[in-house]
Amino acid sequence: MYNINFTKYKYFTLSFSFLAIVAGFVITFTKYGGFAHSLDFNGGLRTVVELPADKTRNDLDGYFQSKNIEAVVILLEKEKNIYQLDIGLGSLDTIESLYKEIPEENRETSTSAIDRFVQLLRYEYKLPKEKVLSADQVGAVVGGELTEVGITLLLTTLAIILLYLSIRSQFKFALASSIALVHDILMTLALIGFLQIKPSVPIIAALLTLLGYSINDKIVVFDRIRENAHGKDNLALSNIINVSISQTLGRTINTSFTTMISVIAIIVGGAVELYDFAFVLLFGVLVGTYSSIYIAAPISEIYDQLRKKRFV
Amino acid sequence: MQSYRLLILPFLILAVSFTILYPNFADRSLKIVVREDVYALPEADQKILVNALFERWAKDYGKGSGWTIEPQGTLPPKENPFYTVKGRFITSAKINQISQENQSLVSESKNKLEPTWIENTIRGGKSLSIKLGLDLQGGMRVVLKGDFEDYTSKLKDLYAKELTELNLTLKNPTAKPEDKEKAKSRLSEIESSFDLSPMRKIVELEKAKMIIDNRLTTQNLTEPQVRIQKEQDAIEVSLPGVSNSAAILEILQNTETVEYRLEEPNPFVFKGQIADNERRMMDLGKREDTDIFIFQELVKNKAGKKAQDEFLEGLEKKYNIPKDFKVYAMWARGNSAKSALLPRSFVVLERKIALSGNDMTNAQPSYNSNSYGWMVSFTLTPNGAEKFFDLTSENRGRNLAIVWGDKVISNPVINDPIAGGRAEISGSFSEQEAIRLANVISEGALPIPLSVLEMRFIGPTLGIESIEVGLKAVAIGFFLVMAYMILYYRLGGFIADLSLLVNLIILAALLTLMDFTLTLPGIAGIILTAGMAVDANVIIYERIREEIEEGRALSIAVTRGFENAFWTIMDANVTTLIAGILMIRLGNGPIKGFAITLCWGIVTTLFTSLFLSRLFMELAVNRMGVHHLNLRPFFFGKKETTNV
Repeated sequence: MYNINFTKYKYFTLSFSFLAIVAGFVITFTKYGGFAHSLDFNGGLRTVVELPADKTRNDLDGYFQSKNIEAVVILLEKEKNIYQLDIGLGSLDTIESLYKEIPEENRETSTSAIDRFVQLLRYEYKLPKEKVLSADQVGAVVGGELTEVGITLLLTTLAIILLYLSIRSQFKFALASSIALVHDILMTLALIGFLQIKPSVPIIAALLTLLGYSINDKIVVFDRIRENAHGKDNLALSNIINVSISQTLGRTINTSFTTMISVIAIIVGGAVELYDFAFVLLFGVLVGTYSSIYIAAPISEIYDQLRKKRFV
Repeated sequence: MQSYRLLILPFLILAVSFTILYPNFADRSLKIVVREDVYALPEADQKILVNALFERWAKDYGKGSGWTIEPQGTLPPKENPFYTVKGRFITSAKINQISQENQSLVSESKNKLEPTWIENTIRGGKSLSIKLGLDLQGGMRVVLKGDFEDYTSKLKDLYAKELTELNLTLKNPTAKPEDKEKAKSRLSEIESSFDLSPMRKIVELEKAKMIIDNRLTTQNLTEPQVRIQKEQDAIEVSLPGVSNSAAILEILQNTETVEYRLEEPNPFVFKGQIADNERRMMDLGKREDTDIFIFQELVKNKAGKKAQDEFLEGLEKKYNIPKDFKVYAMWARGNSAKSALLPRSFVVLERKIALSGNDMTNAQPSYNSNSYGWMVSFTLTPNGAEKFFDLTSENRGRNLAIVWGDKVISNPVINDPIAGGRAEISGSFSEQEAIRLANVISEGALPIPLSVLEMRFIGPTLGIESIEVGLKAVAIGFFLVMAYMILYYRLGGFIADLSLLVNLIILAALLTLMDFTLTLPGIAGIILTAGMAVDANVIIYERIREEIEEGRALSIAVTRGFENAFWTIMDANVTTLIAGILMIRLGNGPIKGFAITLCWGIVTTLFTSLFLSRLFMELAVNRMGVHHLNLRPFFFGKKETTNV
């Protein structure tokens, strides 16, 4: 049996994670002023238009990019070339100034942002009125309420897991798993902020999935540690941890690998709107696996040492 | 656990699951009903409508779906006024789309997806197909907020008379002490019913939800979802595939009630006062200043309910109407039957509701050939019949007004006590109005008025392209995972794949049975389920391999492998389950959808990995004579690990 010394690098990995999370959030809030805006969370403009047959998604994407408008383009119907365009509130000023560039004779005076955007679109793509199928200023689907529910949810979940694991195994393992779980969520949020990924319903789904995956992963590793530690109180915990992780390594690799196959299939497959979902999930699986080994296990060891010191 | 007989269980469960899932894949037939009035149109107009339908059919609905429509290209015969569409995967979004794009041809409310024999047998015709959420197919979402202030004021009306009587008793110095005591307790009982605790609010919202459900069912919209949002005392209605139907919104929101109220006793003192004043104004040539004229203008300008209410309250003050009475307008048509329904005069009714809509059911509109007008006949509930009999016997000679919404539509004199539990309302109705009134009575009125808090057309979160590609990717991913498992764990991998498939089939059947609506996060939950199911098997095989490596006999290694893995799998799944249950309890929309699939997925995973996989594995090892179990991957070359 190969035996790798995983806990040797614990101070390095712990500080690495800590710095990565702090750096991610600092950049998110200083450079970008917070998380990206999105229609699902902040509301915005939504139009559905039927474009001429020769226009493609790339044209639309290119146009919005060149004009610096944040837009999400969704192909609703292939045969009729119908697109849904979601514009975040952050781009309203840009639209405002572009609207003013439209020649006077091609625009009707209008005060509402959505009207202006529609006129801009119609002018740019030479669309007759009836090709704009719908145009609304929409509110957030998820958003404030969800953030609040999310935090309550996370805290309650952690408390219950802490309790369950304390009863089933030992407090130190319960504590370590919970901290590692928070670590995974924070890491992923830091990444979402750092890359300015637009929060959306699929992203929420990805976060929840990674939460489930991460809990699962931590418990498998800890169960083995607990089993190996049984009746061996005199042995150093770090040895037991190393042996246990080595023993479960085959399983860890296999599970991460099979999960990643499905996720990568989505990324490679090219489902544009699922790309963020898959990407966050892929990162989450990697972080979840990493933290089971390099965060959760060392924390339980450090906790153990601290306690032993107190009694010595 | 090594008997072939145990195989019956999984086969039974699979058979049940497949039966439940069958309607999703079956050929189904859908009836698209043609509106009655289409047959009365000139032939040329009929043709335009029919052509429009079939043009869209060729271009849009039928294309590539393999659906057939009968009869082709013509209007169906009048005695069977519907098109029959046959095919697989007929979705609610498409049905609603067809209805809405052909509104002048199709009678949206009567379309019907014929239940399959399975749905008829096990669910009494209720649908068993998997429903897709708004984020997958788009649609309309309306959030309606309950107006509880209005509700309490209505409630106070209902008890108005009793309250005055009770207060009189309390103040009466000659009343017996025990009567006073009784009055006191009754008073506090009534007053406590005005106090709306959160619990009570939920109960009222539940009632409203039921009525909305009813109304939507009679509209026959496919797969509407009605949900209560506790946090904001609101009801959320999701209508998949509906793009913008003002008619539906009106139906949902309709808070009209029907109730009986007694008019002030004859001679009509208060009504007389108002009428005298109006007449005086007319005599002075100030028709524009009469109250009824002002009120008519309010109605014509669509000033809204609130303005109308305020106006009527103003009249109560102006004429010093006592608190037990309330001013209403009597609505009628002018001399011609085609003129508008407008307020024509004022009447003063008792504030107390004599008989409420809840006492009436089963209303039918009918044409009265004697008076050349429409009327509505209805049945009274047993309780209502009794009340109605008492009311009509005690108040002979008085007028009993029927109030529909805020309109008095007729106030006939009570000539004789009415027994038997049937009654009718005649007024100057058009056919449409008679039908509406009948619906209001039959479906019951909303207990609380609802205002639109938010109405939104929601596009699908993903485009068609992404869904197609995504599904393909997930399928490929699945296939790769399954292939990998076989390559890695050989026979073990095959068994794991088998139990994974069974797992997903059972899960799909369970979700269908629970009327679950599949959303994007729900799909994520299923993906996680699959991942955890594979993981459970991986844990088991790693354990078995360890046992083999330690030199145990194969059958013992298998048993011990499962036993050692048992608690790990349990712990991992139970903790996730706890998290899932919390998400269902605390979470909303997207979180809930995810959590429900996850929780049921865990249940099925525990069954398939701890029972089914084990059964297959032990049967293979102990009964089918598998003596060599190699759980080493093909691609790492052949090592040791065979044992007998």
